[in-house]
Amino acid sequence: MTESAPDPALLSASPGEWKRVHIISPLVRGWIAIAALIFFGGRDWFEGLLTGNPGGFRGEAVSNLPIAIAIIVGVVLLIAGGFFLSWYYTRYQVTEEHVRVNSGVIFRQHRQARLDRVQAIDVVQPFLARVFELAELKFDVADAGESAVRLSFLKLGEAQKLRATILARAAGVAVDPEHPQDIPEAPEREVLALAPARVIGAAALSGNTVAVVLGSIGVVVFAFVLDTGALLAAFVPILIGVVSGYWNVLNTGFNFRAAISPDGIRIRYGLLDTRTQTVPPGRVQAVGVIQSPLWRLKGWYKVTVNVAGYGASASGEAQARATLLPVGTLDEVLKVIALVLPDPGTDKPLEVFSAGLAGRDSDAGFITTPRRARLIAPMAWRRNGVAVTGTALLARSGAWWRQLAVVPHERTQSLALHEGPLAKRFGVADLIFHTTPGPVSPRVRQIPEQDAWRLFSEQAERAADARRRSGPEQWMRPVPVEGAAEEPGALPENAVMPAPPSYLEGPAHERS
Amino acid sequence: MRREPIDPAGIEWTRVSPKYLKVRLAGWAIGSLIFLIIFSVPLVLLLTGVLPRFPSLLAWLLPAVVVVFAGWRGLLLPRQVRAIGYAERNEDLLVRHGIFFQRTMVVPYGRMQYVDVAVGPIERALGLCTLKLHTASPGTNAEIPGLPSSEGARLREQLSARGEAKLAGL
Repeated sequence: MTESAPDPALLSASPGEWKRVHIISPLVRGWIAIAALIFFGGRDWFEGLLTGNPGGFRGEAVSNLPIAIAIIVGVVLLIAGGFFLSWYYTRYQVTEEHVRVNSGVIFRQHRQARLDRVQAIDVVQPFLARVFELAELKFDVADAGESAVRLSFLKLGEAQKLRATILARAAGVAVDPEHPQDIPEAPEREVLALAPARVIGAAALSGNTVAVVLGSIGVVVFAFVLDTGALLAAFVPILIGVVSGYWNVLNTGFNFRAAISPDGIRIRYGLLDTRTQTVPPGRVQAVGVIQSPLWRLKGWYKVTVNVAGYGASASGEAQARATLLPVGTLDEVLKVIALVLPDPGTDKPLEVFSAGLAGRDSDAGFITTPRRARLIAPMAWRRNGVAVTGTALLARSGAWWRQLAVVPHERTQSLALHEGPLAKRFGVADLIFHTTPGPVSPRVRQIPEQDAWRLFSEQAERAADARRRSGPEQWMRPVPVEGAAEEPGALPENAVMPAPPSYLEGPAHERS
Repeated sequence: MRREPIDPAGIEWTRVSPKYLKVRLAGWAIGSLIFLIIFSVPLVLLLTGVLPRFPSLLAWLLPAVVVVFAGWRGLLLPRQVRAIGYAERNEDLLVRHGIFFQRTMVVPYGRMQYVDVAVGPIERALGLCTLKLHTASPGTNAEIPGLPSSEGARLREQLSARGEAKLAGL
């Protein structure tokens, strides 16, 4: 994540200036603490007012008032001072190669991350920050944990400009030497937007609803059987959980839009808190598509991704970040997969991916669990399967909860072949793909031994091949041979706005 | 080494040192002893008369089960150690483990983030070490135990060199 000694020559060549975040940002960050303080302190005072007893100290008010005021003023000054110091000592700098952040008053922290190691950039606006038109910039590298760099808060325009700068430098775009600060935001083209009705429908058909229905039935039955209303009290925490579950779905799915730009995939969402995520090309390690039984009624799917910077935390925020499409139809799912995998590596992408999403048996070239092994996978044996295209591997599983995992060949980390005693008895084996932490864990289940192992050795070779062919880490750096006559400042050829890749041909699916 | 259906054809597995069996046996003996002591407590209490009404059948059965189970595991150990193997190929390293639950793993050199060599007290006494490979995925649990120290050092250098030559980011 961090580099060792920076190259001094490089530093002097590009003395990026040190900047500070917006001065009111500690207030925006610490508003809950302040609100709590005002609430508890203010309540006493207010109650005192109401009972005609200013100061709230019952009769001793007059003598204690100056002390009380002094204490309040002191606390406020202390907090303000702390905020000011933390603001003053937090500085950041973006150079040609690195982003650096210095923070901390007593324990100083100097952090430096290489720009070309960027895995994802988020611009987040919590509700209060939106009021002040501020935004937080998050810069993720592949340590799968906390964001490497969090700049909270900047002015929204400034945050967007900084994101454009970081992405341009990470991409290796040649910059006009005379106006190094003028880096235009990469153009983007919207690929899809979700209507609020869809998000509400998705929430209504989520597992949450099943839990609510079953839970209510259970509670009512118990209340009748035991002839007591006391159990109804247990309903309250459940209700809170359910409401927060629905809220989570709505808040993170609301106003969801996905777009493609030369800087990668850009998605936006949020009801109160809004978030814009950018995932540069080639940073998606695996794609997962899930369909719950209720969603099958409407033909909806959810698309999640593994990105090295996002990590595998189970928190609502982390899950929302790893969601590429909260709810979408088959067409939309294919559009989104096409963003990640512009080249499907097959002539009939529509067929192959549809078979992966909803198919069973060996249509479109899927290898499935053999009939002889149906005892160990009684429900899923026709669904378990694997297909390989020129660019990716599709692992399909799940009869009730349908799942499809797509792993681009060049993103394969390592593979494992597992065979337990029962599987050996039926001559089948599991093939497990190791990818960076995230919601997708690709596993090819119970395919015939010979196939498993042919795939195992072939896949190792395909992955090695794909790695050799894969694009550079700096996705816009002109290829030396072609870019020899490149003028500085001019965007290289391949920076032209890419048309959203699509697996769907024909005028019916043509986008305006 | 016996060929298993799960093994890729045409691969020469390098076995780990037979001395590694001693490491496993030591661990097995200590673990079994602890279990035996814990499960013998009722029997001791019964025989010393502290708990005279404890069912004697159960008291004898518990340690007996532990002994049988430990014996079974002990018998498996030599085969388990023989089942551990690795093979260096041009692009990747293969590692295999297990008899009943077989696992074969392939780790491309270009995907290795770092290589660990760990030595425990018993391993050190026998001149062995354990090599562990890490990729960007926590699922990569590639461990080669029981390597002779010189072989471990050679392999580590070899892997690092090849990893650098083939480094492919994430």
